[in-house]
Amino acid sequence: MRIVVILGQVLDPSGIVIKRRAGRIFVNREEYVLQPADRCALEAALRIKNAALAGLRPSQGVEVVALPRGPLPDDDVLRQALATGADRAVYLTGEGFDGADDAAMARVLAVAVERLGGADLVITGATTFDTGQGQLGPRLAETLGWPQIVGAWQVEAADGRVRVVRQEGSGYVVVNADLPVVITVLPGALKPRYPDGARLINVYRAEDAVEKWDVSDLVSDLVDEAALQPLLEKRGQDFPPERERGVRLSGTPEEMAQALADTLRQRLGRRPATARER
Amino acid sequence: MDFTFAPEHIALRRLVREFAENEMAPLAMEIDREGRVPFETLRKMAKIGLLGVCFPQKYGGMGAGETGYCILMEELGRVCTSTATNVGAHIGIGAMSIYLDGTEEQKQKYLMPLARGEKLGAFVLTEADAGSDAAAIRTRAVRDGNEWVLNGTKTFNTNGSFADVVTVMAVTDPTLGARGGMTAFIVEAGTPGFKVGTHENKMGIRGSSTAELIFEDVRVPHENVLGKVGEGFISFMKTLDMGRLTLGAACLGGAQAALETSVHWAKTRKQFGVALAHKQSVQWMIADMATEVEALRSLVYRVAWLVDTGQPFTQLAAMCKMYGSEVASRAIDVALQIHGGLGYSRDFPIERNFRDARISEIFEGTNEIQRIVIASNIFRQHGVRIRP
Amino acid sequence: MDFTLSEEQQMFRAMFRDFSAKEVAPGAEEIDHEEKPPLDVLRKAANQGFLGATLPEDYFGAELDFVSYAMLIETLAGDCMSTAVTLATHVSLVAMSILGHGTDTQKEEWLPPMAAGEMIGCFALTEPDAGSDAMALQTHAAPDGDGYVLDGVKTWVANGGIAGLFLVFAAAPGGITAFVVEKDVPGLTVGYREPTLGLRGVAINTLYLEDCHVPAANRLGEEGEGWDIAQRALDRMAITLGAAGLGVAQAAVDVAAQFASERVQFGVPIAKKQAIQNHLADSLIEVEALRYLVYHGAWLVDQESDLTFDAAVVKAFAARVARSVTNRMLQVMGGYGYMEDYPMARKYRDARALGIIGGPTELQQVTVAQWIMASKDVEIAP
Repeated sequence: MRIVVILGQVLDPSGIVIKRRAGRIFVNREEYVLQPADRCALEAALRIKNAALAGLRPSQGVEVVALPRGPLPDDDVLRQALATGADRAVYLTGEGFDGADDAAMARVLAVAVERLGGADLVITGATTFDTGQGQLGPRLAETLGWPQIVGAWQVEAADGRVRVVRQEGSGYVVVNADLPVVITVLPGALKPRYPDGARLINVYRAEDAVEKWDVSDLVSDLVDEAALQPLLEKRGQDFPPERERGVRLSGTPEEMAQALADTLRQRLGRRPATARER
Repeated sequence: MDFTFAPEHIALRRLVREFAENEMAPLAMEIDREGRVPFETLRKMAKIGLLGVCFPQKYGGMGAGETGYCILMEELGRVCTSTATNVGAHIGIGAMSIYLDGTEEQKQKYLMPLARGEKLGAFVLTEADAGSDAAAIRTRAVRDGNEWVLNGTKTFNTNGSFADVVTVMAVTDPTLGARGGMTAFIVEAGTPGFKVGTHENKMGIRGSSTAELIFEDVRVPHENVLGKVGEGFISFMKTLDMGRLTLGAACLGGAQAALETSVHWAKTRKQFGVALAHKQSVQWMIADMATEVEALRSLVYRVAWLVDTGQPFTQLAAMCKMYGSEVASRAIDVALQIHGGLGYSRDFPIERNFRDARISEIFEGTNEIQRIVIASNIFRQHGVRIRP
Repeated sequence: MDFTLSEEQQMFRAMFRDFSAKEVAPGAEEIDHEEKPPLDVLRKAANQGFLGATLPEDYFGAELDFVSYAMLIETLAGDCMSTAVTLATHVSLVAMSILGHGTDTQKEEWLPPMAAGEMIGCFALTEPDAGSDAMALQTHAAPDGDGYVLDGVKTWVANGGIAGLFLVFAAAPGGITAFVVEKDVPGLTVGYREPTLGLRGVAINTLYLEDCHVPAANRLGEEGEGWDIAQRALDRMAITLGAAGLGVAQAAVDVAAQFASERVQFGVPIAKKQAIQNHLADSLIEVEALRYLVYHGAWLVDQESDLTFDAAVVKAFAARVARSVTNRMLQVMGGYGYMEDYPMARKYRDARALGIIGGPTELQQVTVAQWIMASKDVEIAP
């Protein structure tokens, strides 16, 4: 079984200060961390691999391959994946790739999966920490022509089938499906493991531990040249308004109740109570 | 001169920092209050290979070198000095003594499980009348056929009460003293006659174990002699040298934590209408603290580089320990002052760090001994021989 | 300038030493380890008249001069700083405030039981947002009929847990005002003991005042006089704490010197090593300087001089000396200095408090700077 995990990175929030009044975000320390939801996705994949290795299905080897969620400044998150237990990691780079949004990425990744020789399962995070986007998984599923299970809390896979517990409303639903499937995992769903120390040292010492593919090689497979064009255009940013401070009521309970009723009537656009109504 | 850390060391630091914050920080106050060793943390560390950080991978270690070990100790020291103490005694002097002086068989038999954290180690030297004067030890080892019989009492020992494997220094020839008269032995816990005596009630590092170890006719096979008979003292001094550097790294972590806490409090706490950060008294405290931390950081990692590149480091390692412990003490003292009453309250971590930091100027060779080591090294280069 | 103690003072000193060695020293470790206030010791101290140390005989006090009282505190602190601080709070902060600002009725009502140790006094000034900036206190005293209603929270109240009498500072319409509140008054709740690094035998508690009615007769001084009362009390306490610091520092030197003379390493007592000698010498030099500073301060109290500047100097120096001396003396004792079975670790933890209680050293720096600049017409604010 081949599981492809798609990992992205985000600015470490502890290095950012938001100054609402200045309307600016100050980056004090530019450090990137693995997207929390993607880290859970990696953990889900590794657990499936561990379960297989634990002898549940000794005949079935599981290979976990890490791919990038969009253009990344470096291959660090992919190295982290290798250090934590992934078998292969591929970094994608190239011209025209830099401005790619989720729609473009989905197309590129679909080709990359094919280039790997196909996959049985694709797992990624359900939302990104910074932009709150959840498009990549579903778009990739559509492009691959696979079913998708979004917002997973638990994932098990074996024998060509997958069993997912996903959130629905205020409860959970168990979904079973045949592979191949695209699954997106919620942040905080699983406690991610720490990488093994020796493996970490070796991965980071080996310069060529992460494979590098040029996107133009992949894109040439695509029929439509405009495939890399982003659908989203960033036009600006705005800060949500400061929350209005409330009004403190005082007086006897009767007085406060009256004042509150008057305020509510006013807000709702109704006339204030007449003396008689009081 | 390239002052950047290698990618694997940056990645290692990130791993240890996350581990320390997620696994150690929540327990730090509890293990101090209860006075217990956090074995669950040590097990988790063993699982990811941290307990063999500096040993080569062929011996079950992580292969991150002395620099990697300093990074580990710094990040542990930043969060919980007790845990750093447990780990430091295990890796830095327990397992390290076997790594530096063991035969290949001894390394396979003992170093591997220690590096993997399957077994825990300790280094046993100090006695009631042999503290700074380590050469005055009296625990005796007498040869009997293919075995040695050990008798004596060791005091103030870290980890010895629970370690699986300990390296012990004993007198094998009372007429020779330190030069030729002492030998190091590897002793396994459970050997008949090897007992744990009183547990000390310490002011700080209460999440670590300091105990008396009693050897009553303990029989040790000759193949467990570590290094050569009679040369124990010299090999122990080598081990202690290594330990000094990494203790300095742990102190660096403690000082760094004091700095972070102080900055945070100065930003948050308002008195006289402004945050403390706007008071020059506080600014000066923080500037001085930050400067010392940087100076210590440079010293520690430079010495780690000396070790990793096989260069002499004894004098500088002593400086790391001496300077590091004093920087940490100063930093945490100032942090306590900045926090005022909260710094004195046991509901906050500052006073625990204050108690914990104090031991670093004393154990692993008091700072007085470190100064003797440094001065001796300096004067030896000028032909003057200094005696303690 | 006559630096000798009078015969009477020398006699007192001998008596204090005798009392401390017999009644205070043996229980000091337990008081610290169990975190229990030294009630037994206080009872015995009351029998000796120590609880009314500086109070006039009319109120059953021992009418000691402040210099003798300082010697008492110094002696007690050498054996048990918790006991010393408990007594100092009771006498310097509370009893002497009532003595200095109370009406005759108030003095007759409260001073005799305080002198007898039947009512222990505590001083409630600090609040969560009013530490160094004590004037920013928010506990208020609203006039209510023939008295006041007090509302607020007081923290770090030394002796709070054992007090029968609470000297509480609150904001009344006329300004900060001092009130004497007796225990068991409705609306006054004593919270749990603050767990501390040292001074573990001092009952340090949080105080909750909720709708607490206090009659006007319990107001100490006039409305608005509270700040002045508090200042004078803190100045007296600064000198008293100076004596405590002196006591703990001298005791630390004594203990370490004994250890250094007995501990043999490298074939000789460690006292033969110059590094150890320097630790001892540097410490005693500081202790001696502190000694004269403290007793000069105590003498100023007896002269009824303005204390503010000298109190700041004494307190700041005492905090510094107590800290550095106990630190060096712990180092002399090595591993034994770190074990709680020996007294040094406790002295080290206790001594550290002096940099914070009674006002942090930073505040004393401001006071001294203000004093220097006052004559040059430059105003300095904290």
